[in-house]
Amino acid sequence: MYNRIFSIIITVISVIAFCVPAFAGEFVNWNDDGTVTLTHEDGTEILIDRATLGAAYGPDDKPFEGETITILALDSGPKGGISGPLYSARPIWEELSGAKVELALVPFADLYSKMMLDMKNGTGLYDATITGAFFYGDLVDGNYIVPVEDIGYGTPDYGQWSYDSIPPNLRKLHEWNGVGYGVMNDFDGQVFYYRTDAINNPEMAAQYKAETGDDLRVPETLQELLQISAFFNGKNWDKGDDDADYGTVLHLKVGEQGHYHFQSLSASFAITPGPLDKYHGVYWFDPDDMTPLINSPGHKAALNFLKELHKTGPSAQIGWSLGEAWDVFLRGKAVFTFSWGDVGSLCQDESRSNIKGVCGSIAIPSSTTYYDHEKQVMVETDDPVTYGNTTGGTWHGVVSQFSENPEAAYAYLSFMATEPWHMWSAANGWTGVDPGAYFNYLEPKGTATMDQYDAYGWAPTDIQMYSDAYHENYTAPISLEYLRIVGTPEYWDIMDKNLSAAMSGQKTTDEALDDTAASWNEITGRLGKDRVLKMYQEAIGYNQ
Amino acid sequence: MIRWDKRVKLLFLLPAVIWVLTLTIAPLFFSLYLSFTDVKREVVISGITEVPILDKEGKPKTRSDGSVRTKKIKDKKLEITYDWVGLKKYKRVVNDQEYQDAAKFTFIYVIVSVVIEIILGLFLAFLFNRRIYGRGFMRSLMILPIFATPFAIGFMFFTILFEVSGPLAWMGIPFLSNHNWAPFSVMLVDIWQWTPFCFLVFLAALQGIPDDLIEAATLDTKSAYKVWTSVILPLLQPIIVLVILLRVAEAAKLYDYIASLTKGGPGTATQSVSFLVFNKAFKMNDFGYASAGSFLMLIVVMIFVLLFFTQLRKTYE
Repeated sequence: MYNRIFSIIITVISVIAFCVPAFAGEFVNWNDDGTVTLTHEDGTEILIDRATLGAAYGPDDKPFEGETITILALDSGPKGGISGPLYSARPIWEELSGAKVELALVPFADLYSKMMLDMKNGTGLYDATITGAFFYGDLVDGNYIVPVEDIGYGTPDYGQWSYDSIPPNLRKLHEWNGVGYGVMNDFDGQVFYYRTDAINNPEMAAQYKAETGDDLRVPETLQELLQISAFFNGKNWDKGDDDADYGTVLHLKVGEQGHYHFQSLSASFAITPGPLDKYHGVYWFDPDDMTPLINSPGHKAALNFLKELHKTGPSAQIGWSLGEAWDVFLRGKAVFTFSWGDVGSLCQDESRSNIKGVCGSIAIPSSTTYYDHEKQVMVETDDPVTYGNTTGGTWHGVVSQFSENPEAAYAYLSFMATEPWHMWSAANGWTGVDPGAYFNYLEPKGTATMDQYDAYGWAPTDIQMYSDAYHENYTAPISLEYLRIVGTPEYWDIMDKNLSAAMSGQKTTDEALDDTAASWNEITGRLGKDRVLKMYQEAIGYNQ
Repeated sequence: MIRWDKRVKLLFLLPAVIWVLTLTIAPLFFSLYLSFTDVKREVVISGITEVPILDKEGKPKTRSDGSVRTKKIKDKKLEITYDWVGLKKYKRVVNDQEYQDAAKFTFIYVIVSVVIEIILGLFLAFLFNRRIYGRGFMRSLMILPIFATPFAIGFMFFTILFEVSGPLAWMGIPFLSNHNWAPFSVMLVDIWQWTPFCFLVFLAALQGIPDDLIEAATLDTKSAYKVWTSVILPLLQPIIVLVILLRVAEAAKLYDYIASLTKGGPGTATQSVSFLVFNKAFKMNDFGYASAGSFLMLIVVMIFVLLFFTQLRKTYE
């Protein structure tokens, strides 16, 4: 009798479970109002409408059932930059699509070789790669990636996103000769961060006025930044502990993105403002004949400036990568830094930051002196224009020519490019996905609202400045061009080593940059000057 | 005719021989070949067949507009051509200032580290070659660094040598940010890890010297210095030479400490040949340069080893 009762109970429970609407999955809930609730493993929910999610998905529709895709990306762990969002999206998208996602995660040092070996051998091990924009030269040169229009972009089937939602300076990094290859994800560029409480400190303001005769304010030029940074360096202005604080902290370690500091800072010294032509708007090479510009007087002036700025921070920063430098700023031990969007979002993470609410940001100030390539003189200006930059990886997905499931790979990438998902990524600093789309910026410059960022713990003052800074940076009329030619890693590697040698005193500024130019000539000759020149012209949009 | 028992011996050796041939010798010779050639890889697609993607029931999957989803099966062939370029890559490597700097640093690193390790190892072996309380425990503690992963040690020393708030920050020495101090810091890591190895080997050798020989020598000379220089060191010479050879061969492959501690910086102050060729191969896809650079290093180390063996043979003769 007890067995019979037990069987009945089990049957009833099973029937009830079976009758629960089939569209209430573990991670995906299809709501009656036409929206879908996507639930992360940690319980965070994202609401998205069905049209944005994609017409191919439905409670009974799993468009990629039985297919498996492999994504190659940087390995920072399940809660680390770039790889973290892939982990988060995987179970949700697998439930939506019926597909299986394999993540092939590798250290940065191995990413290029793994990607290129797979492409060059045509093995198709990786359906898509989360690539840095600096690899585009190699990818396009070998015809290794698929235009997104061929695999679902512009159709209603998969995640809805648009290149039109990205400012032109960033959009360029996802295209080649007007053809779109990349699915938007991370947007990299450096802005300038400062302690608002330092700048607004009355005691410091009085002291600064007494020492310099100038008013303490958010620096409007690089030269003013240097003066203020020197003022703060060595003073224990916040009395937070017994140790003196620094002016500016930088991450200058060779092989660890130190050269990006130089790129961002030197733009306003080295680029002659004006519409792109042989002399204006160029930074890396002469677009007519690939003569390196890296040792121009403007670049040298910038390096000398960086050396002076370095003296207003910890001398050890020559050996610091991102983690060490950011930690100093986030703990409140430095007044200034300039770096990627990660810093702004990490300021809000109180497990790492002591400066939530006082983390100001602006577009990097410009230099009052720049080099005129045409007249070949250094020019002084009282009103320097803002120079934007897209310095960094701008890590985004591209689909391989050798993928057997290119549409599935695209669908996974486009899922993470939809506005609701992208907002979640951009608002959470640990994802490594930095904002750049118009819908990431706060109203009125964009369409995001304060409530959206407040939901992720952003201090209102911080996010307002952060949003404005990035908007100004990415929409600046002049922007540092991005080097996207075959061999970019090699060009940058030699520049990085010479910059580090100059910063540590191993070489003088002239030696470092002249040696870089000489090495670049050798690299260009070896890779084929005509081939590289053509790529460079295409990459920067230069028509002779 | 080979006897059956000899055939059995060969059979047992065969797996190891195949292993070494396929995983060591063959790649070595292929790498040597790469250093004399320019390699071009091209994937040639001779045909594309578009086939519908089928669901579990064998029906074609469709998009929202009703069109059938397809996948393109590419008939592809990888064509690899090897163009013989002779010594071109070796000339490029030899003339490359970066390689020259890396070779110079590697040479200095090997000489300084190995000499200090030998001297310290001998000194420690001498100290421990006596009955002292807790000798076994202390000896076990002393040899722990040998078993640690070089990468982990590099990160550990990054913390120790951290100039702002590390345990040695009070010294005010720019361990990692100065191009003169950084090489010393890398050597310090090597010395810390491998002195115990030298100590262990020398201690075993010391303990193998008969006590009555030492006693007799002590009675004759009554000078510890003379006993060491005239009796102990000559007896230890073969072991010392062997340790030097092992350490030189290992130290010349310097990579891990640099990768975790300095990334070859500041500038190229701590860039070793191994670190440089690894980056050339895997960060810049320049396998030809990397192969040539590696073989040049191998030649130098082999010459050193041969010279030492020659010296050792002369000593025995």
